[in-house]
Formats: sequence, C-alpha cells, structure tokens
Amino acid sequence: MSKIIRTWTVNGESRTAEFPPMRRLLDVLRENLGLKGTKEGCGEGECGACSVLLNGEPVTSCLIAAGQVPDGAELLTVEGLEQTEGGRLLQKLYVEKGAAQCGFCIPGMLIASYAYLRNGARDPAETALRDAHAGNICRCTGYAKIVEAVQAAAEQWPAKEVNRNQ
Amino acid sequence: MKNLEESIFLEPATLAEALRFQADEATRGLPLAGGTDLMVQWEAGVRMAPSRVLNLKGLAELHGLSVAGGSLVIGAGVTHAMLRRSPLVRQHAPSLAEAAATVGGAQIQALGTIGGSIGNASPAGDLAPSLLVAHADVEVASVRGARRLALSKFLVGYRKLDLAPDELILRFHVPVLPAGASETWRKLGPRAAQAISKVMGSYRGRVENGHIADFAVALGSVAPTAIRLPQTEAWLRGRALNADTLDGAEQRASAEVTPIADIRSTAEYRRWVSGRLVRGFLEHLASL
Ligand SMILES: Cc1cc2nc3c(=O)[nH]c(=O)nc-3n(C[C@H](O)[C@H](O)[C@H](O)COP(=O)(O)OP(=O)(O)OC[C@H]3O[C@@H](n4cnc5c(N)ncnc54)[C@H](O)[C@@H]3O)c2cc1C
Ligand code: FES
Ligand code: FES
Repeated sequence: MSKIIRTWTVNGESRTAEFPPMRRLLDVLRENLGLKGTKEGCGEGECGACSVLLNGEPVTSCLIAAGQVPDGAELLTVEGLEQTEGGRLLQKLYVEKGAAQCGFCIPGMLIASYAYLRNGARDPAETALRDAHAGNICRCTGYAKIVEAVQAAAEQWPAKEVNRNQ
Repeated sequence: MKNLEESIFLEPATLAEALRFQADEATRGLPLAGGTDLMVQWEAGVRMAPSRVLNLKGLAELHGLSVAGGSLVIGAGVTHAMLRRSPLVRQHAPSLAEAAATVGGAQIQALGTIGGSIGNASPAGDLAPSLLVAHADVEVASVRGARRLALSKFLVGYRKLDLAPDELILRFHVPVLPAGASETWRKLGPRAAQAISKVMGSYRGRVENGHIADFAVALGSVAPTAIRLPQTEAWLRGRALNADTLDGAEQRASAEVTPIADIRSTAEYRRWVSGRLVRGFLEHLASL
C-alpha cells in the first residue's frame, strides 16, 4: 500500500520516516532511519535482540507494524542509551564484568537492563532482575555475568534516571 | 506469497469508525492489536498477508480498566503489562495478574493484549482460565449493536469463537473476588518465561468451617478450549477439605480432562498434571 509519514522522537531527536504502514518497526529503524544497532535475531518475538523502548516500555520491534506507532511516540534504541547517564554506566559495567561475548544479544539486553533499572527496582534476590531479562536470549554468556553487571549498575544508578511505570 | 507491506492499513480513530469498516466485507480488515500472535504467524508464513489490516491500537474505547457493578471491566486493548501492574486487577482478580505476569517476557507483555489473547482462540492462551473461574462475560459489538455473553459460551472450539465477522471484542466483565474467597494460577511449561504452557490453570474457591463452599477450576491446553471441570467441581462442593478429598479430586480431575498429544507434551502427562494442579489448588485453598 502507499506509504505513510510518521514523526517520532527517536533517541531524543525528532525524526520523520516514510514507509508502508505494515513494515516492521525493526526495519524502519534499521533501513529508513539508519539505526543499525538494533538487531534481528529470530524475527518472532522470542530472542529480544530487537528490543527498543517505546514510550518507556521495552518492546520487540520485530513484532510491531510501524504504522501502529503514532506520531509523537518516543523511541529509545541502543544508540540513544549512550546519551544517558544510566546507559553509559551499563555500557561500562557490561564491559568490566565481561557480560558481552559475541555481542549480538547485547543491544536488546541493554535495553532490558535499562528499562528494569529505570523502574527503580532493587532486587538482592535477583528474581525481578531475571524476570525483566526473561525475554532476552543470550547463547554465549550463560547470563551470570550479565546479572552481575546489572546488580553492579543498580548500586550506582543515578537517582534522576528513575521513572517508575504507573 | 503476498507481501505484508502491500496490505492496506485501516486506521479508525474511533470505535464507531472501526465498526463501520467491519460492517461490510468489501472494507473489512483483520483486527490487529498487539501483533504478538499475528506478526509471528505472518513472519512464519503460517498465515497469508491479509488484504486489509484494522489497527486497534488507536481506539481509546478499548483501553479502560475499572471496577463497576461488582465487576472489573477490562478493555480488550489492555496489555499483559497493565494487568500485571494494576492494583485493581491484583486485588480483585489476582490470578489474572499472575497469569499475565508469565506471558512471554516483559517485551511481549508490553505489546500483547487480553483481547488478542482471547481473540487468538488458542487453548494455550494463559489468560482464559482465570477469566473462566471468575465467570467472566465478554462484550462484543458491531454496527448491529452490542451483546454480552459468558466467556464459556464465547469459546466455541479450537480456534473458534462465537464472534461474527463484523464484530469486535470490546471488553471483559470479571466479577471481583468475593470476600473470604481465594484464587491462584499455575503454569507448567519447559521454562517459566517465554514458553507456551503444557498445562496451566486457575481456581477460585472459598472454605466455610473446613468445608468447600465454592470451588471453580479451569485448565488450559487439555481440550480444544480452556475448560472448567464441572464434574470435579460438583463432587468437591460441600466436602471437608482433608486428605481424602485431595486424593479424590486429583483422580477425578485426571479422569475428567481429555487432552491430546502434540509437540509440547503427551496426553498421558497432561492428564496426570491436571490432577496434580487441582490438588495443588486445594492445598492453596487449605493453606489460607
Ligand atoms: C515470544 C512470545 C511468547 C509468548 N508467550 C505466551 C505465553 O507465555 N502465554 C500466552 O498465553 N501467550 C503467549 N504468547 C502469545 C501472545 O502474546 C498472546 O496470545 C497475546 O495476548 C495476543 O495479543 P495481541 O494483542 O498481541 O494479539 P494480536 O496478535 O494483535 O491478535 C491476535 C488475534 O486476536 C484478534 N483480535 C485482537 N484483538 C481483537 C478484538 N478487540 N476484537 C476481535 N479480535 C481481536 C486478531 O484479529 C487475531 O486474530 C507469546 C507470544 C510470543 C511472540
Ligand atoms: S528479532 Fe525480535 S525478538 Fe528476536
Ligand atoms: S553475547 Fe553472544 S548472544 Fe549474548
């Protein structure tokens, strides 16, 4: 069908894209907007590699028809994480703790970590932490290093980057 | 196969506009809510790209969540994430909040809706049992008018609903958990998150002076739709909540279900687990 035009705030900037409305958000981000940090693992919602924040919530961008995302929506991809204090902290700690191996899952994993920590959660028992990453598959690390990195980030999380969902 | 990007995308701004599109076969679109079932089916090639898609995301009429007339009223567009977080749902239909919390992972919960879960009409849909034990109604509408019916009547069969092609699911009416009653939800699958259940279910029940005053139990993935177990329920009513009752209920529940074998499990295992789940529910009821 003919294309539609949408204007969203992507990583803090106003971006306009023109696309067939049933194109996947994943493809619009990568192909139309050139944001190749977001990865496609499975294309079926299982792996979480394509995760982005849509209006503050983590979503799998491979399952969203981009036309369903209305004008004015706020999107945050892994590229945008680097502009946030919390995102930079996560980046540093993932590296320090050895939480990334091949790296393919990492853009989505970081989005899940960021969404979890931004919610203000503190979880010594790790149950909520693991639950918040349950939609992200990593075939390399065995997750233990990732959990360590996120726990360490929780200790140092900047107070101004807490924004609880309802 | 036709490319999904060629599908016409209908964007009604109001429910009335959406129902007008659906009224006529020539303008009707396939309803698309969170897309967590449909986008996967299209991607996997098990479903053809439709001529037209009806985007439900923008319809404010499908988004309410409130308590009215002794029931939780839950719009079809309410997501699993909202069900899980809502203090109203956690208080008045806790097993529904529990079920929503184990659907997929956080990303799937943020997208998938209750309307889509029921609309998908899969016996493995995790929300149906909690709605069934609460005697929930579903409200649907078309340009011909709205109607309300029991969810148990709405779930007709495998992938079959009592929903006309011009109708949309509007909302669910879920009677609140009565004073003194309890309920919970359990799921058996290969892992806790992101996996389709082998068997799952919910109960809602109440004990009076050590005897079972009310008991409703529903299981999923053991029949073409999620089902209540009326024979087991009837046998339990009025019985003392003791070890003999637990044994009897487990046996009766295993005998009452008629599951099939598929890629996720065998019929025999599902039958056994069904009995164990019902026993577990009675233990939960007894522990309160
Ligand atoms: C990785 C992954 C894991 C999952 N894990 C689980 C799980 O653990 N448990 C579980 O139960 N499900 C699971 N699912 C399935 C899915 O998330 C649910 O079934 C979901 O609730 C569907 O909702 P939706 O809004 O995304 O539906 P959609 O895909 O948008 O629609 C599903 C169907 O419902 C119809 N529909 C939607 N809304 C309406 C309406 N208002 N009126 C009429 N028809 C309507 C659509 O036309 C379509 O036929 C998983 C899916 C994925 C991708
Ligand atoms: S690519 Fe989207 S979840 Fe795997
Ligand atoms: S680091 Fe390789 S998949 Fe996670």
